Amino acid sequence: MKYMLMLFGGACEPTPERSAEWFQGLGELMMSLDAELQAAGELVAGHGLVDATKARTVRFVDAAPVPTDGPFAEVKEALAGYWVIEAGEERALEIASRVVAYTRFPMEVRQVMNDSLDQ
Amino acid sequence: MNGALAEIEHLLRRLTPVVLSGLVARYGQFEACEDAVQEALADAVVQWPRDGVPDNPRGWLVTAARRTLVDSWRSEAARRRREHDVAVRDPSVAGPAVPGADVRAEDGVSGADDTLVLLFLCCHPALTVPSQLALTLRAVAGLTTAQIAAAFHVPEATMSQRIRRAKQDVRAAGGRFERPVPADLPGRLAVVRQVVYLIFNEGHTATSGGGLDRPDLAEEAIRVARLLRELRPDDAEVAGLLALMLLVHARRPARQGPDGALIPLDEQDRGLWDHGLIGAGLDLLHAVLGRGPVGPYQVQAAIAALHAEAETAESTDWPQILALYQVLERLAPSLMVSLSRAVAVAHVHGPVAGLAMIGSLGADARAAHSHRVDAVRGHLLERTGDSDAAREAYLRAARGTANTAERRYLQIRAARLADHRS
Repeated sequence: MKYMLMLFGGACEPTPERSAEWFQGLGELMMSLDAELQAAGELVAGHGLVDATKARTVRFVDAAPVPTDGPFAEVKEALAGYWVIEAGEERALEIASRVVAYTRFPMEVRQVMNDSLDQ
Repeated sequence: MNGALAEIEHLLRRLTPVVLSGLVARYGQFEACEDAVQEALADAVVQWPRDGVPDNPRGWLVTAARRTLVDSWRSEAARRRREHDVAVRDPSVAGPAVPGADVRAEDGVSGADDTLVLLFLCCHPALTVPSQLALTLRAVAGLTTAQIAAAFHVPEATMSQRIRRAKQDVRAAGGRFERPVPADLPGRLAVVRQVVYLIFNEGHTATSGGGLDRPDLAEEAIRVARLLRELRPDDAEVAGLLALMLLVHARRPARQGPDGALIPLDEQDRGLWDHGLIGAGLDLLHAVLGRGPVGPYQVQAAIAALHAEAETAESTDWPQILALYQVLERLAPSLMVSLSRAVAVAHVHGPVAGLAMIGSLGADARAAHSHRVDAVRGHLLERTGDSDAAREAYLRAARGTANTAERRYLQIRAARLADHRS
């Protein structure tokens, strides 16, 4: 089974709680997770996204698609990145928990649809 | 992977451009020849480890590929297409019925020339950049589709399509297997050099020294540049390009930290630099400087050489580097060159002078690469002691960059300033 793990975060900017060491630790966590998922044969995809302020959103407004500046969710927390892993739900939740423990940002875990015809 | 198989793979990769160029020289039909060569390579990689490498490996591949081509021509539809092509599109291409064409394909003397023509074809100016990169890696570097896909982090099927489209685009652009006319040659060579350098810059920093499964693009670019140097030994810019890549590649082991952040030049552990590569780059540069017209790659290589020769960051010869950036700005002006010159100005005349220079850059230029400008401003503001403004600039740069290592670095840099404040 495949799961998508979505990381939602506010602008990842330094604050009193987020020191230089915190950022360094974050980098190390991400790199080691990628390596772990890769080594276990679980990593299908993993990407960070550019800052949400750079996003543009296309909405259907008055019978036409209209692009505007900004991410879809006009809230503090926007999609910051994702993994797709091939693993069970337990494992997906475990990975997400480890990330949330460090970042304190929420992560959504949702199964990816499969395209097989016989099920 | 065992050593014998690796040796066979290296041999096949070296032979790819030679075999392919010979076939295209003789039959035209770049697309069909490229497909046929890929099949021959796939067969070889299975049979040679089992039966031993043939006495004439190149002849083996040519024969196998030619057999595939002839088989494909035998089908009725393909023959009609070929007759149409030969008659209408490529009237000058000698088909197999023309005597003398056989001699040319087997003639080793024209082999080198043909590889150069192949490079020109893969770097045809009408192709998109991704197509140029993929085709060069396939036809000249001899990578398989799977290897190229892995190197660019795209699925193999996607890369396969990209290469198919690229070959079609060559045909649509009227790309012929012939040396460009002398008037066009310098421009076409410039494109080839550019493509090689772009391949080099695509090299991922995450893994150094990739294996055959996931080749290291930087190393592939260096291989192709070496090949290009053999084909054009008197081209000073080719030598400059190769020297530049050797000198830059030498620093790679020191470029990224365990936290994924990039480590800038002045903070790198120079003991981790590959001094063998530095020596090779310096030797090449000294051999070529002054031998031909100075071009941008030679100047960039000279700048890289000055960094490489400095035992510590503090002992870097910045006045000389500044002078070289001034030359580079005349030869090949760009925002990146101006920014780099601003950094050099700051080292020689102080950060305020550097900031003034950035301020004088055009608004368009600043807007187009704003995060780079912000990153440099951040550094210079930090050096003037204006921590608040520096932090602001670093954060703006971090929001603007699409590069993970760069963003991590900028966030850490900004955070350090906040830490010092409190």
